[in-house]
Amino acid sequence: MAFNFNWSPLTADADFYSRTQDLLTAALNKSPKPPIIVDDIIVNELNLGSVPPELEILEIGDLAEDRFRGIFKMCYSGDAFLTLKTRVQANPLNTYLFSKPSFTSPQPLAASSGLTIPLQITLSEFKLSAFIIVVFSRQKGLTLVFRNDPLESLKVSSTFDSIPFVRDYLQNEIEKQLRTLMMDELPAIIHRLSLRLWCPEYKAREDQEAAQSAKSESNEEEETPIDPFASPPQDAVDARGNVLDASEISSLSLDGGSEIHSLFSQKNLLRLGALTDSHRTLSLFTPSIRDAVFRAWASPAERGESATISTPSTPSLSRTQSNLGNTGGTTYTFDTASESSHSSRPSLVSFQSARAGLSLGSGNHSRSHVGRKKKTRVVNLRRDKTIDDMSSVSGDSETSEAACASEPAISTQIPEEPEDNIITPPRSPSGKVRFRTGSDEDTPRRLRSLTASRNAEPPLRPAFNLEAKINSEAASPPTGSAARDNTSSTRSSMRPQRPQRPTYTSSTFSPYPAEKVSTPSTPTPYTPHATAETSGSILEQAWVLKMAGEIARRAHDEKSSRASFWANTSQDGREDSPPPAYEPAPQIAR
Amino acid sequence: MLEFMDYVQHAFYNASGWNHENSYSHLTATARALLEFETPRGVRLNISSLSSPNFATSYALGSVGLVDGSLSYLYTSLPLTTPASSGQLDLHNVIRGYRQIQELVKPDEDWMWEEWQDGKRIDRRNTLLYGRLYLPQSTLEALYLRRLSPTQQLKLSAVSDSRLRNGGTILALHQYDVGKYNTETLYSTDGGLVGIRGLYNFGPDPRNGVIIPPRTEDRFYGRFSAGAEMYYGALNKSGGISFGGRFATLPAHKGTPLTATLTLNPLMGNLSTTYAVKAGKNLSFCSKFDFNVYSYESDLILGCELWRMKKKVQKVQERSMAAKLAWRLDEVVAPLKDEPEEIAGVLKARVDQDWKFGLLWESRIKELLFSLGSTVDMKRRNQPLRALGLEVQYSS
Repeated sequence: MAFNFNWSPLTADADFYSRTQDLLTAALNKSPKPPIIVDDIIVNELNLGSVPPELEILEIGDLAEDRFRGIFKMCYSGDAFLTLKTRVQANPLNTYLFSKPSFTSPQPLAASSGLTIPLQITLSEFKLSAFIIVVFSRQKGLTLVFRNDPLESLKVSSTFDSIPFVRDYLQNEIEKQLRTLMMDELPAIIHRLSLRLWCPEYKAREDQEAAQSAKSESNEEEETPIDPFASPPQDAVDARGNVLDASEISSLSLDGGSEIHSLFSQKNLLRLGALTDSHRTLSLFTPSIRDAVFRAWASPAERGESATISTPSTPSLSRTQSNLGNTGGTTYTFDTASESSHSSRPSLVSFQSARAGLSLGSGNHSRSHVGRKKKTRVVNLRRDKTIDDMSSVSGDSETSEAACASEPAISTQIPEEPEDNIITPPRSPSGKVRFRTGSDEDTPRRLRSLTASRNAEPPLRPAFNLEAKINSEAASPPTGSAARDNTSSTRSSMRPQRPQRPTYTSSTFSPYPAEKVSTPSTPTPYTPHATAETSGSILEQAWVLKMAGEIARRAHDEKSSRASFWANTSQDGREDSPPPAYEPAPQIAR
Repeated sequence: MLEFMDYVQHAFYNASGWNHENSYSHLTATARALLEFETPRGVRLNISSLSSPNFATSYALGSVGLVDGSLSYLYTSLPLTTPASSGQLDLHNVIRGYRQIQELVKPDEDWMWEEWQDGKRIDRRNTLLYGRLYLPQSTLEALYLRRLSPTQQLKLSAVSDSRLRNGGTILALHQYDVGKYNTETLYSTDGGLVGIRGLYNFGPDPRNGVIIPPRTEDRFYGRFSAGAEMYYGALNKSGGISFGGRFATLPAHKGTPLTATLTLNPLMGNLSTTYAVKAGKNLSFCSKFDFNVYSYESDLILGCELWRMKKKVQKVQERSMAAKLAWRLDEVVAPLKDEPEEIAGVLKARVDQDWKFGLLWESRIKELLFSLGSTVDMKRRNQPLRALGLEVQYSS
């Protein structure tokens, strides 16, 4: 693997130097100046030289065509130089007195009178050595942060070289100033430059949005919702790991399937909402979602794609997908079973145990290589349930034990033991669950009949509500884990809203669909808002905040110049994908 | 307006017979008072007290954006009898304006300070101790002032602040004043700064006897003084030098009092002239012109000072009870003819070549001294008022 960094083309741009000089001038005059400098510092000349810095790649966190994240070690000892013009106070006594308390000042009468002299300083022979974090994305531009103080040494030559005191003073002050410049201002400058270079459509989008808001809102509504099924993943899999073909995926749609909406439980969504809020507002309260990996620190681009793949403990995404896939192939028979479970207990139990035993066999099997955390969860559930099952269900010992993890049977006990009920809520709608496990060869026709039947059966809904209520009231450990599993799953399942759903790639599924299906009582709409909110890693957020002001300032003049630009960019369909990181910036700007 | 502690310190100088204005650093005192007065910023409140002749306390509370304050205590071994109540003290002593140069006074002989008892000397040297703590900056100021002899004085001032390099600085200043001339040597721990200043007064030597002013009215009667200063920072190898001269009329001068100074800084090519004139009894004008022969930069400041007087309100005397009982009128008491006018307030104004104005109104209301000031920058059309401040002092 090789990277090609072009050093000289930067300088080929005629505008580059003048722009950089302006930015540097503004940056140099922002921070309070030392007393010896009595006028604005003006960057007179800037040359990056011909010797490029040496970059050593330490780590690459993310790499794609339009984005890059990595850590470099940079060494530079090139021939760049910088000439500054300013006016300085030539009387050392004057600057000596400047920062001293007046109480102990010798109070000279006229010996401290000032003499300001125009000064030209040339900074050359930069020796830099730094660890740099580079984050590049086509939409966010280039962010460059120094991990340490980059400045090793530099040579300051000025008109005062013959006076040792002044020379030393200048050297010290300029080094100090340059350090702050490198650490604070340079990243901002580079970011702004990069935005100009690569991100014209950002400004364009800003303009576009402004124009849109001016228009009727109906247009916006058409565009804003993002259909996760718009661009199906390359290799979608169902719960069994079977590859779904395109026709099956296309049969799934947001609008058509009520069961898709019902995949998310409102309670869990609330909890997730609290979680994201806590990230955004720096609130110290974090809702406890066990077995969940917080990916708030990952960049939004990463989140959607790598979350499920990299972390075995968040099976959620794949689960939803598997659920979806299964809905395509569920059998009607199981649905009846679930109904029967609600109505008549004894018969249900036996029936379930048989069926579930079969299905669980496969479920356990697949679960075994899913991940460690899942196993622990299973253990918890089993322990509680076995007791309940044994007590409540008389005859079927072994099969029910084996099946307990995904048992719907417990739902029948709701009135009797609240704790058990807590566990059950995920399972109760069990009809779905079982279909999935048992039915691989079902046809879409059956699915249709299933949905129809489900709609037709009123008793299910109230039961769900009751369960949800119990769930919230009782806080027994098993419930918690189950609920949390759900939350984590729903949480990650919210992410697939991004057009590229990577989640289908993970093939591990089947044991848990039960929980998934059971949870929801109210359909949760897909909102583009959610994706927009995943604003990015902490690093980037900090930069966003810092630069929001700058961008706001520049936004205005940019708009006018970019007006023609975005007319072009709006055609290339980029606006389909929401700008993840810089969404908050324009809001702040306004 | 002088802070209370400075006022007490000046009272100590006066009580111990020290002419603190006979110094090179006070050569341009008049111009500084008229042109470089400080306008208060924010709101400040000072409550002070000379609770005993030897002890004074002062508390200050200020608000410039955030609230800060200071506590200060002063002890002097020399009992001070000057009026300290803000309702009674003379505003001329608190508000620095046109400084009238006084005739030189012959300093005390050493033997005058000697006190003997039972064959032993019991006299002590007068000392002033002063400390001030600024909150919340946690800056501590300390001053030790000691009259070594009738012609010598030692002044040690120190500032302790964690933000300063080495945690603080100490300035030692030794002053030697015989009237005819004055020398000062100083050392500052900050940068190892060593300095020497000297002032020489031309004219008759006060040590030779009382100076009798001439009776002529047609020519200036004043005093010419010349001095120089030199500093060298041992640690940072830097230095400074300046020369200065001043002509000022003395109180015996019959015409318009005036003061003119010229200071030169040969190293930096700086030349500064000031001219102050007391145009009327309550009105003074001053101008200052700076020029740098190397950079051709120049600066001009004009200022004036107007004292507003008011007649003392005549007290309406009630008919006394004795007179009422006797069925007669009170005897008419002839009012004192030369009752002095009361100062209503002082207005100071300055303007420089950049059209920056400074305005200050200092006055007394009842028992409170207050100064109200502002700086106005006419170059900034949109926001000319730069700062507005009010300072209130109360002392007892």
